[in-house]
Amino acid sequence: MGTRMGRRSFLRIAGGTAAASMLPRRAGAQGPIRIGFTLSATGPYAVGAGITQRPNYDLWLEQVNAKGGLAVAGGGRRPIQFVDHDDRSEIETIVRLYEKMITDDKVDLVLPPWGTAANFAVAPIANKHGYPMIGPTVGSLKLKELNLPYFYAILAQPDAMMLSLANFLKDAKRQQKVNKVAVIYVNDLFGIEHHGALMPVLKEGDFEVVDVKSYPLGVKDLSDVLKGIKAKGAEILIGLSYPPDTILATTQAKAVDFNPAIFYTAVGTAFPFFRDRFKGGAEGVMGVGAWNPKVPFPGAKAYFDAHVAKHKKEPDRWASAFAYATLQILEESIGKVGLDRAKLKAHIDATEFTTVVGPVKFARGVNTATPGMVGQWQKGEFEVVWPPERATAKAAVPKPKWE
Amino acid sequence: MNLALLADVAAGGLLLGGLYALIAVGLNLQYGLMRVLNVAHGEFLMLGGYLTYLLHVGLGMDPLLSLVVSAPVIFAAGVGVHALVYRRLLRQERTREELEANSLLISFGLLFILQNGALLIFSADIRGYQYLDRPLRMLGTVFPANRVVAFVTAAVVTALLFVFLRRTLTGAAVRALMQDPVGARLIGVRVARVHALCFGLGAGLAAVSGSLLSMLFELTPFVGLPYTITALVVIILGGLGSVGGSLLGGLILGVVEALGVYFTAPDLRMVISYAVLALVLVLRPYGLFNTLAHRPGQSERA
Repeated sequence: MGTRMGRRSFLRIAGGTAAASMLPRRAGAQGPIRIGFTLSATGPYAVGAGITQRPNYDLWLEQVNAKGGLAVAGGGRRPIQFVDHDDRSEIETIVRLYEKMITDDKVDLVLPPWGTAANFAVAPIANKHGYPMIGPTVGSLKLKELNLPYFYAILAQPDAMMLSLANFLKDAKRQQKVNKVAVIYVNDLFGIEHHGALMPVLKEGDFEVVDVKSYPLGVKDLSDVLKGIKAKGAEILIGLSYPPDTILATTQAKAVDFNPAIFYTAVGTAFPFFRDRFKGGAEGVMGVGAWNPKVPFPGAKAYFDAHVAKHKKEPDRWASAFAYATLQILEESIGKVGLDRAKLKAHIDATEFTTVVGPVKFARGVNTATPGMVGQWQKGEFEVVWPPERATAKAAVPKPKWE
Repeated sequence: MNLALLADVAAGGLLLGGLYALIAVGLNLQYGLMRVLNVAHGEFLMLGGYLTYLLHVGLGMDPLLSLVVSAPVIFAAGVGVHALVYRRLLRQERTREELEANSLLISFGLLFILQNGALLIFSADIRGYQYLDRPLRMLGTVFPANRVVAFVTAAVVTALLFVFLRRTLTGAAVRALMQDPVGARLIGVRVARVHALCFGLGAGLAAVSGSLLSMLFELTPFVGLPYTITALVVIILGGLGSVGGSLLGGLILGVVEALGVYFTAPDLRMVISYAVLALVLVLRPYGLFNTLAHRPGQSERA
């Protein structure tokens, strides 16, 4: 027993030394660029991660390596290698794995995990170690307050997103005389922050708020809540929801015959799965977003087609394209300044990028070039309906009856 | 206070409670008989749900009709699992505590295997289909049609189980084993066979529940565990080993949850269930419908 333990620890030390001695050599010898990340393959975040982030990471890896690797300023092309893990949708696991990937695996770069709460948790780690990280699925104002210079958020943040929604609703109120609003939100950082941003702008718009209810992540049943909201005569439902509850709320609203003039749900509404699941029932449903292959930005259609070709499924109509855009930004920056992370950060701070979601420019870590938008399913496409300067179609209000 | 809405919400809770009852009866059949606490009960439910999903989406079979496939298949799987792991465990049984602890460990292993197996096959994507998800107008209000269908089916299956337990010889053997394992052995009940049957039945009932739930909710490989927990609450509420207790316990929990959620928030659903459980444990430690006299090995108090 004793000797065996001795041999094991000897091997461990010997192996560790050998690995350590190889490190500087590998960096000099132009091995692959190692990029670390975790994505939830299991647990409540798995659905969103598997639709919005994973396919885009994989698509980018394939495209870059097909070109012979990532062009590094002053260093030719180097292939990319992913170091990735399933984080089981557990925040503590996510945090532990990022610490490990940065300090132990010594990856060259990191990509973010999926979801607001997960990004919120790893942003300080990336910042502490000086790894630039552009979150494609994070909506949090608190993150801005934390002042983490190495963290960037590419989506319109809760204030911009909810302001845009409120402006759309005010327009609908003028034209359609809808006024009674009910709000339900998921009790996760995403729902809490968007709820916090929404309520003041609803008040400012002088809407009558008839009900506000929160529900837990992984909720099984919302039919009683929806019955109550229906009884209170809500004309507008705003669900600040995550994918499984977006599906649940829609299914159950239909089943209890609650058909408000405006039915808005958040993450998951823009998933093609939503359209395929509800077919005609999706018509007129609004959601947070938005993006579709008709937007007039360079590469948008080519990205859509490449995604379909590789994964045999369409990208979602919101954050997928933004996730891909973060990789475009990273690729362009590495091509300009190389892998020095401080230089990368300086470049990301100073540049306006051209991406599949249009121009992206960060000011203190927040993308100020993309406005908050509202999307709506119309005849199988998730159209951008607000703001008018980004719209790909006019909003249809009131929504038709559930099919 | 809107009384009509309140009654409406309570009735909605009752509909879901019927399903809780069916899930709990299956778990209770296993626990009451063998003292095998099957934490993987919800995973059999999940498998039943996926079977129905596959049959409906792949072959166009009516989800309700798919019960005739999902129930026997998962029943057979349950009998198989029993033969593989539990039979040996039950034979080696020394004390009840030891059996409970070991069976718990085994079923945890089973839970992980089934859950991750489903993850490999189906991935974590949410899966669902539309089935009768339209409003059904009755009693002056609306109910989701699929929920009414699921409730009625659950009630029919539970009634059939009752008839089986009350009217057949095998059913009598099951009850005899529940009430007095030693006595049942003495009069010639084939213990191993009844155990296998009941484990299979428990799994089969879970599969029926899963098939019905797949009509109402989306499926992921992780849907099972919360239902196992709900079922545990129900069988403790109704009394360990008491099938009738599980039935009433399920209905009560459904209604209490629905009303509780209506008055507070969906966030508190679990809190409400556990509060009910705690209250019952304080006031009636053996469950609402279990009398001490029916518990073997317990001395009666005056």
